[in-house]
Amino acid sequence: MTTQTVHDGRPGVRVDNVSKSFGANGSRVTVLDGVSLSIGMGEFVSVIGPSGCGKSTLLKVIAGLVEADEGSVTIDGTSVRSAADGKLIGLVPQSPALLPWRTVLDNVRLPLTVNRKANAGRAVRDPEELLASFGLGAAIHKYPGQLSGGMQQRAAIARAFVFDPSILVMDEPFSALDEMNRDQQRLGLLEFWNSNRKAVLFVTHSVPEAIMLSDRIIVMAAHPGRIAEVIDVGLPRPRTAETYDTAEFRDLERDVRAALHGVMEKAHV
Amino acid sequence: MSENVMVRTASRAAPAPAARRPQGDGSRPRLPSWMSWRAWLPTVVAFGVTATIWQLVATANPFVIPTLEEIWASLAGAPEMYWTNFQVTLNEVAIGATSGIAAGFLLAVVMSEFRIIERVVMPLVVVVMVTPIVAIAPALVVAFGFGMLPKYIVTGLVVFFPMLVNSLAGLRDVDVKALDVFRTLHASRWETFRHLRFPGSMPYVFAGLRIALPMAVVGAAVAEFVAAGQQAGLGSLVTTSAAQANLPVTWASIFLLCAMGILLVCLLALVRKRVLWWSAADVVAR
Repeated sequence: MTTQTVHDGRPGVRVDNVSKSFGANGSRVTVLDGVSLSIGMGEFVSVIGPSGCGKSTLLKVIAGLVEADEGSVTIDGTSVRSAADGKLIGLVPQSPALLPWRTVLDNVRLPLTVNRKANAGRAVRDPEELLASFGLGAAIHKYPGQLSGGMQQRAAIARAFVFDPSILVMDEPFSALDEMNRDQQRLGLLEFWNSNRKAVLFVTHSVPEAIMLSDRIIVMAAHPGRIAEVIDVGLPRPRTAETYDTAEFRDLERDVRAALHGVMEKAHV
Repeated sequence: MSENVMVRTASRAAPAPAARRPQGDGSRPRLPSWMSWRAWLPTVVAFGVTATIWQLVATANPFVIPTLEEIWASLAGAPEMYWTNFQVTLNEVAIGATSGIAAGFLLAVVMSEFRIIERVVMPLVVVVMVTPIVAIAPALVVAFGFGMLPKYIVTGLVVFFPMLVNSLAGLRDVDVKALDVFRTLHASRWETFRHLRFPGSMPYVFAGLRIALPMAVVGAAVAEFVAAGQQAGLGSLVTTSAAQANLPVTWASIFLLCAMGILLVCLLALVRKRVLWWSAADVVAR
């Protein structure tokens, strides 16, 4: 529906008219209906919407975990399949999904250990330094079970950054944390991303989170899952905890909530 | 029981090897719970009561069960004889169980990687497994003679099924989110197996071993019953001595078989603790 292009040399992520439905012929449910969007390199885009709007499916299509029925997705100009083959996609799932038998350091090293041929000629990060910049320097030899939920999620984010992917795909990574912790993790992610700009697709159901982190917010509607509105977040960067108190932030919050409200209203008719 | 509880609390507090656990507040270091008399008292009482009842029954009915002194005298009177037979049975258990465990696990790997193999092989496996092993044993002796081979096969068959079922459940029960991470990285099938499925299946594999190892002793004993008298072994000793109404030998052999089972289970618990410190609790697969 809405296609925006950010020009900075590299094509970034392009989702073109993607449709996806599930179920048997008689009772097919259209989860994504003609979704188009683009994420420029170094752009942070959040997807928000009611449950059933297909935001998770959209994320899975872009991450190459689900194949679209129609339409195309390209990452850095190549298909999702070859992007995965070249390790261009960094996934941060909803749960940290760290391997409990590996230390934090070994968990973060994992992406470098598998699919090694894709390591050639890329700016792979030093896992120890990376963990230190995520505030996990003292925990690198600990096991995931010894860390708090917030620390585990940071380790999972470090695991997605370590192999220098082109796009980071995050599926409500902070949803399991308590509110105080969430805010801390958001600001931490923001700070790190500010100095390591990647294209980010961030699925969330928190309005302040979407505003705080994003350049653009994509509001999706359900039945069928589609893009209802795209809201530009003009807030200057770097953003800090004070950003929450600005009038601009509150205006945006009102706009996003209004958009979500509109989407929900229509769903009930 | 108490071992399970210990593993659980230890891994909650600190999933790392126990050495890294902080040692209290600097006062007198606490003894590990298994060394305290409180932990052992109920067990000791239970054994004491059972032994007393045994003695009372044995003294009143000398032709039903022998007294504990008679059993002990038999063991102490011919230690080499018992040791030789113990070794024969242990050898059957070792070779039979190892092959059965390896075969069960490997087939589970193949089945989990290729669904079609599961559809082809699983019905056959179930047919073999519902056939009573006691009924298969004589047929195997006819087919393979009175040597060691039928004994290895029976022992292997007994452990094969619990290993297969548990390993399969373990290989299937992957963390889906972790699997998604592997898929976005385009990890190969082998890499996914080696770094995710294989280590992740270990809690189930150990649950399978916990069932399989004591059953391996059963398998070896049953195989020896069928071919009694031909080869040594504790199982043969049980049948031959029972036929001669030599009850102390029969019961001494039974106790040794029991001791072998306990030994294997304890050994397994030790290995499990070293390998599976990261797993919160025992899993139970079907």
